[in-house]
Amino acid sequence: MLLPYTVLSHTADTGIEATAASFPELLCELATGMFELMGRPQPGSADRAVTVEVDSTDNRELVVDTLSELIYQSEVEDLFFYRFDIATTGPLGVRVTATGVGNTAVELVGPPIKAVTYHDVAAVETEAGWYGRVYFDV
Amino acid sequence: MEIQRLSDVVWVIPRRDPMRVPGRVFASDALIETVLQDRATVQVANVAHLRGIVEASYAMPDIHWGYGFPIGGVAATTVEDGVISPGGVGFDICCGVRLIASRFTEKDFEEQRATIMAELDRRIPRGIGKGGIAPPGLIRDILERGAAAALDAGYGWESDLERCEERGLSKGADPSRVSDKAINRGRSQIGSLGAGNHFLEVQIVDQIHDEEAARAYGLALGMVVVMIHCGSRGLGHQTCTDQLQLMGSAMRRYGIAVPDRQLACVPVRSREGEQYLGAMATASNYAWANRHILADAARHAFARAFGTSPERTGMHLVFDVAHNLAKIETHDVAGRPTELCVHRKGATRAFGPGHPELPPDLRAVGQPVLVPGSMGTASWVLRGEVGNPAFDSAAHGAGRLMSRKRAKAQQSGGEVRLRLEDDGISVRPGSVKLLSEEAPYAYKDVDAVADVCHRAKLAAKVARLRPVGVVKG
Repeated sequence: MLLPYTVLSHTADTGIEATAASFPELLCELATGMFELMGRPQPGSADRAVTVEVDSTDNRELVVDTLSELIYQSEVEDLFFYRFDIATTGPLGVRVTATGVGNTAVELVGPPIKAVTYHDVAAVETEAGWYGRVYFDV
Repeated sequence: MEIQRLSDVVWVIPRRDPMRVPGRVFASDALIETVLQDRATVQVANVAHLRGIVEASYAMPDIHWGYGFPIGGVAATTVEDGVISPGGVGFDICCGVRLIASRFTEKDFEEQRATIMAELDRRIPRGIGKGGIAPPGLIRDILERGAAAALDAGYGWESDLERCEERGLSKGADPSRVSDKAINRGRSQIGSLGAGNHFLEVQIVDQIHDEEAARAYGLALGMVVVMIHCGSRGLGHQTCTDQLQLMGSAMRRYGIAVPDRQLACVPVRSREGEQYLGAMATASNYAWANRHILADAARHAFARAFGTSPERTGMHLVFDVAHNLAKIETHDVAGRPTELCVHRKGATRAFGPGHPELPPDLRAVGQPVLVPGSMGTASWVLRGEVGNPAFDSAAHGAGRLMSRKRAKAQQSGGEVRLRLEDDGISVRPGSVKLLSEEAPYAYKDVDAVADVCHRAKLAAKVARLRPVGVVKG
C-alpha cells in the first residue's frame, strides 16, 4: 500500500518521507508535506497559481531543486501553496503548477522552512513505485 | 561511533580511513550523553573527510545533529590545497548575535515592562514572508557596504560599527555573485527577525564572573540588556541554495567525493571557491545590516517607553558576532603560521586578548563571545582566550536537545507561554502555536555549555544574563 508522507524526526530541523506510484506523484507528496509542515490555508481564501519548470542532473537533485524553487516562489510571490499539479517535461525535468493563498491567509503550524537540504535526500524507484526523503532547514 | 575520553571535557573520535583527521568533541560527561543521542558524531567524522582539513574536525559543547556539518562544528582547511564548503556555513549565512547594553536597571524595566514589550512587539517584524523595517531600495547599498549603509540611511549609531565583527562589512563581498533570486527574497526583509529560533530578548545581567572584562564590555550587575539573534534572511538562504547547486557539478570536475551531498565543496582557490566567498561575504553584509537596523528599532522602543531619546537610553552596542561563517584566518599549524579557511557552523569566533582584529578598547580583555540560551533560561557573555584549542572558536548557544516534533508533543505553545509568564518572562510570539518547538526543555543546559567552554579554554565566563522579555520570531 502506498502511504502519504510522514514526518521524520531531526534534532534541529525536520524532514519528511513519502511513497508514490510515480515520480511526479512523489514530488507532489513531498511538496504537499513541505507546506503542511508550515501551515494550513484558511477556508475561503482566494487562490492564485504559479507555474515553474525545473531541470536537474538526477532525481535526488530534482527533488531538492523543485522544492527549493517552490520555497522561492512562495516567498517572492507571497503565496502559501497547498495544491500541486506536476508533469514530467523530460527524463529529469518537471513542470509544476502550484496553487496557493496569500501568506497572510495561513494558520501557521510550524516554523517557516528556510531551505531544502541535500542531507540524506532520497528519490528511488522501488518495486511498489517511488520512495523519497528530504530534510529541511527551519 | 567510537569515541574516547581525552580529558574531563574533551573527547576524541579516532581517525579511520578515509577520515583525514580525528574528531574532537568538547563536552562534559552529562553533555556527551546528549551528543551521543543523535547522529552528530557521525557528522563530525564526515567533516573530517574534507580535503585539506587540519588538526581535527571540532565540535563545540552545544553540538547537535545538523545537515552535512553538525551544528556546533568547526573545520579549518588550508587555503593552499583545501576546500571550502557552503554546508560548513549553513543556509543562514552570518547568522549571529548582537548584545546591547543600557542605562536601565531591572527596577526600571519592571516599571515600564508592559510598555516596553508592547513597543518591541509593534516595532520588530517577524514571522513568515515579507515585511522589514528598511525600504527595499536599500538592498544594493547594504550588499555593497553592510552596516555602514544602514547607518547612512539613518539607522543606528556610528559607534555601533566599532563593536561589530569586521565593523559590519565583510572583506571580499562581491554583490555580482549574489543571484537576482536571492535579492528578490531579501529586498523586502531588511530589518526583520525571521522565525524558528530567532529572537529579541530583554535580559538582566545577573552574575558577573570577570569584573575587568565586564567593565570593558560596558556591563554591570542588574543592568538591562537586549540580545538579538537573527541572520541574512531569505537572501542568505537563497545564496546558499544557489551555491550548493553550482558546487554539485563542480565537485565532479575536481574529483571530490564527500559522504554527504550537503558537504559539497570546492578548492578554496578555485573559480567556484572565490565565487562562494564573494557571495557569502555579500550575504554577510546583509546580516550585519539586518541586526544593526533591528537594534535601532529596539532603542526606539525603549526610548518611547521611557519618554526619552534613543541617545539617552545608553543602549551602546556591546558586540555583534556571527556564528555561521567561513573566514580566511592565519593560525599556527604544527608550529607554522598557516592561512586557513575556518568554517564555523553554529560556532562563534572567539579571539583572545591582543588579537589585532579586535577594537582597541577590547584588545586587552579579548572578544565578547555571545552564547544565547533558550527563551526561558540564561544566556552568557564569555570572552576569547589566548591559546583557544579550536581555531579561536566557542559555542554559539545551548544546543537543541530534542526534535521539534517531540518538543511539540510535550506542551502546547499556550502552556509554554504560561510557564514563561509565571517565571516572570513576558513573551510576544509571532505565533503562540510555535512556542512549544522552542520551549526551554527542547534545549540543553546552557550553564553546562558555558562551563565546558570555560574549562576547555574555548572562552572564559564574563557575565550571565537572565531573560525577562522575549520577542520571538
